[in-house]
Order: sequence, then structure tokens, then C-alpha cells
Amino acid sequence: MQERLSFYKKRESAVHRLNPLSKLTLALGIVFVSFLSPYYWTPHLLILFAVIPLSLLGKVLREYINAMLRLILPTAGFLFIMQALFQPLEGVELFRFGFLHPTQESVLFAFANATRIVVMVSSFTIFLLTTHPNELMTDLTRRGLPGQFAYVIISTLQIIPQMQAKAQTIIAAQRSRGLDTESTFFKRAGSLIPLVGPLVFGSLVEVEERAIAIEARGFTSTRVKTSLNSIPDTNKDKLIRWSLIVIIIVTLASRIWLS
Amino acid sequence: MAIVNLQNVTYRYPLTDESVLKNINLQVDEGEFLAVIGPNGSGKSTLCYTLAGFVPHFFKGEISGSVEVAGLESSASTLDEWVMNVGLAFQNPFNQISGAKFTVFEEIAFGLENIGVPREEMKPRVEDAMKLTGITDLADRSPYSLSGGQQQRVALTSILVMQPKVLVLDEPTSQLDPIGTREVFGVIRTLAEKGMTVILAEHKVEWIANFADRVIALHEGQIILDGLPGEVLTSDILLEKGFGISRYTSVARKARAIGLWKNSNLPVTLDEAVDGFKR
Ligand SMILES: Nc1ncnc2c1ncn2[C@@H]1O[C@H](COP(=O)(O)OP(=O)(O)OP(=O)(O)O)[C@@H](O)[C@H]1O
Ligand SMILES: [Mg+2]
Repeated sequence: MQERLSFYKKRESAVHRLNPLSKLTLALGIVFVSFLSPYYWTPHLLILFAVIPLSLLGKVLREYINAMLRLILPTAGFLFIMQALFQPLEGVELFRFGFLHPTQESVLFAFANATRIVVMVSSFTIFLLTTHPNELMTDLTRRGLPGQFAYVIISTLQIIPQMQAKAQTIIAAQRSRGLDTESTFFKRAGSLIPLVGPLVFGSLVEVEERAIAIEARGFTSTRVKTSLNSIPDTNKDKLIRWSLIVIIIVTLASRIWLS
Repeated sequence: MAIVNLQNVTYRYPLTDESVLKNINLQVDEGEFLAVIGPNGSGKSTLCYTLAGFVPHFFKGEISGSVEVAGLESSASTLDEWVMNVGLAFQNPFNQISGAKFTVFEEIAFGLENIGVPREEMKPRVEDAMKLTGITDLADRSPYSLSGGQQQRVALTSILVMQPKVLVLDEPTSQLDPIGTREVFGVIRTLAEKGMTVILAEHKVEWIANFADRVIALHEGQIILDGLPGEVLTSDILLEKGFGISRYTSVARKARAIGLWKNSNLPVTLDEAVDGFKR
């Protein structure tokens, strides 16, 4: 079967038990502080004292390291090289190679940016690893997010892999009728046209059916919705959220006053 | 007591010129199992949507006559009320999965969440419904990881859990393989035996012959036959109007022409055919 587009790892942990909104605030808080803090060492400290401990506490260290090696570090490394080389800042020139003349400043600047990116992606990775999308949406809906909005997000997560599977089926069917999907790029691009029809028109009919199906289950009912699972929201959660808001404000203020 | 009562119902989809249902009169008793047959485009789905309130509340268009189902009157009620009283399931199992849920259990609870059933009530209701349709062991699976027959049973369960008074099924097995078909018909039979009022649009006539109390035949939006399965499904009129008929009926009809079939009634199922030839 197709993988779902969800990173969530089901575990028993203190992080998993937190309210989804608290985790979202936590992830955003870490990102804000790393971007707003004027000190270049802030992102490093955040990785060491926030991101890694959180991944340990949430029992997703292995998945996090995996994502780090395969996605986060390569992306950040690429951004670092591009910025260091192509964004010349005034300062001490390190070397000159053709039109490239990186300076000490540009390298430092690029490095600081790359570490911020690492922090941002890391903190969201951990958030996604420990938060079930359904729980997040149920909680946000309970707090006033429109139900339709939540539905679009969640069903997209689920339906994209299904659409991919369907496209594969159509491709297989068309190929068995002689469709060329393996030669040069332009030929292939041209030969994709016959795939568009079934996919798009099939989808339009499906949209109507789907609308009827969820309607038949009271989706637009005017009654107050309930939810199957109760989502924890303890005093600890409230404390975490308020502390983070204070931390964000303090960082913002220090940024304004210190610079 | 009639739980469904249609009087002179005529319906036209928006932006079209021709009526798709023409002067339909139909009464269905509580606990009755009614099958609807008809060639492609004869209006089976439209009739199903009418019974479930989606015509006219969802599709709009122009309707005349009176539609009463489960104590609701079409012109005087909202889709919201219909959904609470009449369940609708249809062909494509995949499109009936909400996409909003990650497990079968949650999927079935989706309707209950939408209509605001208290949490304590939800779990037992979902569990009972799953037991009824025999899918208890699928509770923790992703709805998308299931076979067509399993998905269709999930779709049926998701409707049943809302405790409708009337169940409308539009060709629920047309996209399933023989195993899936058997699974789904097994569920439908259980429901019928429990006294649920079932209206089933279907072209698999052998199944209908085994299950239904009564059959109506739709042709170009009109009911042309209404009666017992054995009568309607073997009627010569079906042949003239291009309905799909059972191969056993065709064989026996040919046999009758050359004097090999001596019964007065034609068979629909294999068993009936075997019985008839034995005599
Ligand atoms: N949404 C719509 N808008 C306009 N016309 C429609 C719509 N849906 C169906 N029709 C038309 O109404 C007629 C009856 O269609 P309906 O789907 O009820 O037939 P059916 O008996 O269910 O056919 P099938 O066996 O193919 O499912 C057809 O001529 C069809 O083209
Ligand atoms: Mg139909």
C-alpha cells in the first residue's frame, strides 16, 4: 500500500502527550528565537539544549537524525555554499577564483543563516514526528478553526498518495495501449497529454461523489461537533504556551533594543 | 405502514430540458427490501438521491409531486434532517472514504462527530456497528489500505452507525470483485433480516432474486414493472426494453421455445434452473 503523507511516529512519550497547540507554539518559539536573536551562537545552543533534548524526550531521536542526514544538512549545506560564494559582503577577502571572492563576513553570514535553517527545519521535524495531524486539526477546530479548513488539510495529506497511485494505474493502462513514457523528455511530455483527461475528469466526478459522501455523514450539519478522542490540555500545557509567548516577546524586545 | 411514499414525482436536473424521473408513484413498507433495476441512464441513481434527500436539496433542479420518507417531507425539511434519518451508500467505495481520518474506527465515528453525538456514546455505537458488519478486526487499519469489499463495508458501517430508518444503496457492488460482492451482500442480508428498510439499486439480478421482497423496474425515468422478484425479473418486457437479465432466465426461455422447459415460471437463479430442469 501507499505511504501516507504523514511523518507521525506513534510513541508513548511526554512530548506526544502534550497538547498539539503547545507543541506548535514550542516549534514556532524555537524558530522565532533562532531568527530574532542577534547572537550567532543562539541556533547552536537551541540545537543542543532544545531540539536534541526534545527529540530524546519524544523518543524520535533516530528518526530526527535520519531526517538531519538525508534532508536537513544537505539543504543547509547547499544554502551555505551558495550564500558564502555568491553574496559578497564587504570585508576581508578569503580567496579569489574567477568572479568568486568570498569574504570572511559573507562566510560568517552564510553560516549563521544555514544554522537558523537547520533549527527551523529541525524543530518542525520534531513537531511533525510527535504530533498526529488529526489531533492537531481536531484541537485547532475546537479552538475555532473552520472545520472545512481542517478537512482540506487532512484529506489532502491522505488523498495525494492515492492520486499518485491512480496516475500510476492510468499510466500503466495507457502504456499497455502503446503510450511512450520512457524515451526523451519532450516526447514523454507530449505523450502525457492522454493522461490528463482521465485524471482531471475522473477527479471532477469524484469531487461530487465525495461531497455527497461526506454530506451523507452530516459534514455540514449545523449541530455542534464533538470528537472521538479527547485531546489533553493540562495546566502544564498552558504554562508552556505562556512561557513561550513571554520568551518570544523578550527576544523580540532585546532584538529591538540591542540593535 | 409505508415509510416511503412518493406521489407523482417528476424531476429535472438543473440546466437540462428532459425530466429524469417521470411521474413516479412508490410506496415502501417499513422493513421491506425493495430492489430497483434499470438500464444505464434509466434514473436509478436519481431515484436513490431523491429518497435520500440529495435531490433536490443537494442537486437543486426542479421537482414536483410529493416525497415523504421516514416522516420527513422533502419540501419542508433540510438535508441535515434527511441525513439523520436516511442513509445513503453508493458505488465507488474509495470515494466514500472521508479522507479526514487515519483509522477505520475514526472513519466510522466521523459522522457521529459531525452530528454532535457525545463522546461516551460514540465508542459503543461504533463498536456495535462494526460487529454488525463484521469488520471489528479492521478497526485500527487505514481505510485506504483495505480491499474494495472491505472499504465498501466500512462505508456501509459509517452510514449504519448513524442509525438511519431507511437505507438507500446505489449499486454498492458494481465496482467490486465476486468476493467483495459476496461480503457486501452478506451485510445487506443481515441488515434486512434485522428489519431495516432497504432500497437497493442493483443490476446483479441473481442476488436480487435471493434477497429482495419486491422489485421495481425503471425505464427512462418511469416505473414500468412493480412486483415479486420472480415475476419482475423474468418478465418478457425486460427483454424488449434492453434490461440485463439472468443467464438462467435466458437459457430456460430458449429451452421453453423447443419444449425442454415445462414450468410455467422462468428461473432467475442457478438453483431454480436446476430444479426446473430436473422435473
Ligand atoms: N448531475 C446531473 N446533471 C444532469 N443530468 C444528470 C445528472 N446526473 C444524471 N443525469 C442524467 O440523468 C439521467 C439518469 O441518470 P442516473 O444516473 O440516475 O441513471 P442510472 O440509472 O443510475 O444509470 P447508471 O446505470 O449508469 O448508474 C441520465 O440521462 C443522466 O445523463
Ligand atoms: Mg447510477
